[in-house]
Amino acid sequence: MTSIDVRDLTKEYGTRRAVDHVTFDVRPGKVTGFLGPNGAGKSTTMRLVLGLDRPTSGTATVGGRPYAALTEPLRHVGALLDAQAAHGSRTARDHLRALAASNRIPVARVDAVLEATGLASVARRRVKTYSLGMRQRLGIAGALLGDPEVVLLDEPSNGLDPEGIVWIRELLRRLAAEGRTVLVSSHLMNETASFADHLVVLGRGRLLADTPMRDFIDARVQPHVRIRTTDSGALKSTLAGHGLDAVEQEDGHWTVAHARVDDIGALLSAAGVPILELAATEGTLEQAYFDLTATETEFTAQHQEA
Amino acid sequence: MTFTPVFHSEWIKIRTLRSQVAALAMIPVVTALFSALASSDTGGDDFDPLFSVFFGVTFGQIAAIALGTTAVSSEFQGGALRLSLAAVPHRGRWFAAKAAAVAFPVFAVGLVTGVVTLAVGKAVLGTKADGLGWAEQVRGVVGCAGYLTLMALLAAGLTAVLRSGVATLSILVPFLLIVSFVIGDASSGVADLLPDRAGQVAFHETWAGAMGPWTGLGVTALWAAAALAAGAWSVRRRDA
Repeated sequence: MTSIDVRDLTKEYGTRRAVDHVTFDVRPGKVTGFLGPNGAGKSTTMRLVLGLDRPTSGTATVGGRPYAALTEPLRHVGALLDAQAAHGSRTARDHLRALAASNRIPVARVDAVLEATGLASVARRRVKTYSLGMRQRLGIAGALLGDPEVVLLDEPSNGLDPEGIVWIRELLRRLAAEGRTVLVSSHLMNETASFADHLVVLGRGRLLADTPMRDFIDARVQPHVRIRTTDSGALKSTLAGHGLDAVEQEDGHWTVAHARVDDIGALLSAAGVPILELAATEGTLEQAYFDLTATETEFTAQHQEA
Repeated sequence: MTFTPVFHSEWIKIRTLRSQVAALAMIPVVTALFSALASSDTGGDDFDPLFSVFFGVTFGQIAAIALGTTAVSSEFQGGALRLSLAAVPHRGRWFAAKAAAVAFPVFAVGLVTGVVTLAVGKAVLGTKADGLGWAEQVRGVVGCAGYLTLMALLAAGLTAVLRSGVATLSILVPFLLIVSFVIGDASSGVADLLPDRAGQVAFHETWAGAMGPWTGLGVTALWAAAALAAGAWSVRRRDA
């Protein structure tokens, strides 16, 4: 079992602090979504974990060891940082062969990952002829080359077509199910919600959240009940009689917060209110994320005023 | 992690890029062509048959430098270096493997270049080449391979410092083709210690300065070693 442990990690570029005393763990067996707006420090953190950038202070380890101390690191950790890393004039297969050779990974693995990422038929074409989506797949192939127990992917869905997005989602779920440690950065909420079990959220280099995704959403977004009716008056008065506050939305439906759909259904049925639609609505990751960042912005604004 | 797999990886990178294979192929072609031109015009009192035969190295070295430069500069495009160093976190070893992957093919091609340009040059010179002894010819061929290798390494080291192939070539090419020519005939002393001037003593039958052919190549080797050391320091110290 190999986890990524980030401890009090700080990276400054000149006077700008890209990563600011961040501490979190990435555990095996689940997909950890790494969220934050552009410039929040996600990519920098990944580079620090891979020993590519030198931290100003703090540590990042993989399986308890600094990345640079790993022998044949591709066999332990696979990473996609930049889809443009492959030289345009080289074929995908040659690119992967060079990468594999450095860690004594057999050429059979090269063909296996090309097959797994759907690039087998274009493996002998030069990378400059590839679309962004194909380059992403090649980057992912490189990450999987050493059959690593830890996988770090920076914005893997970038440039993928809808089929590719479904593919990456299933791939990430499968890697986690195999017991691997999977860290995936993104700024796309709905996409992240579709594959992540756990979330690490950064904002301006600081850790904003490190929690299971379900908890993250439930703590910030109240589930509510969505209702459409032909008799708004009856609906409102019936609910008001039971201490519930129905709020009319712009497109004409009503929402009731702090309520269960089971209770409201029985209630409205008993009162004979005509119902066109009645549904429980779960909070989305996007709502929760914006709730978090709104609080964060407020805090920062107050902090600056003080 | 040992050196051999890393060297293997870097060698695959070089031989799978057409531009780099083409640069290797250009070394003997350009060298022999300019040697043939120089050997066909041998007027003047300071005629040196060995230098006529190896005159083309001045131009052939541009291809060697292009190879050394692009082998390193391609790592500074699109985050390629990050991928390379993620695979080989031991940066000193990685850079040594890169330098070796440049040096070996250039040395091998340099030997071929030496033999070819010697044959072509002698054919063009005809009887004027009769004075060339075996020892001088061998010295020229080995010196040619050694000189080209050292210049390619100098370029590789410089590129790692500058992190740009364009910057390296726009310094080295004018320097080798213009500056060295201009100050070449005019002065001696300090100018003799320039990397190209020092190394090219190996291509002269007789030499006026204090340095002999092997000392001259030694000076070029010091330049290349300094550039590689600076390049290695840069690769190890800076964020990738």
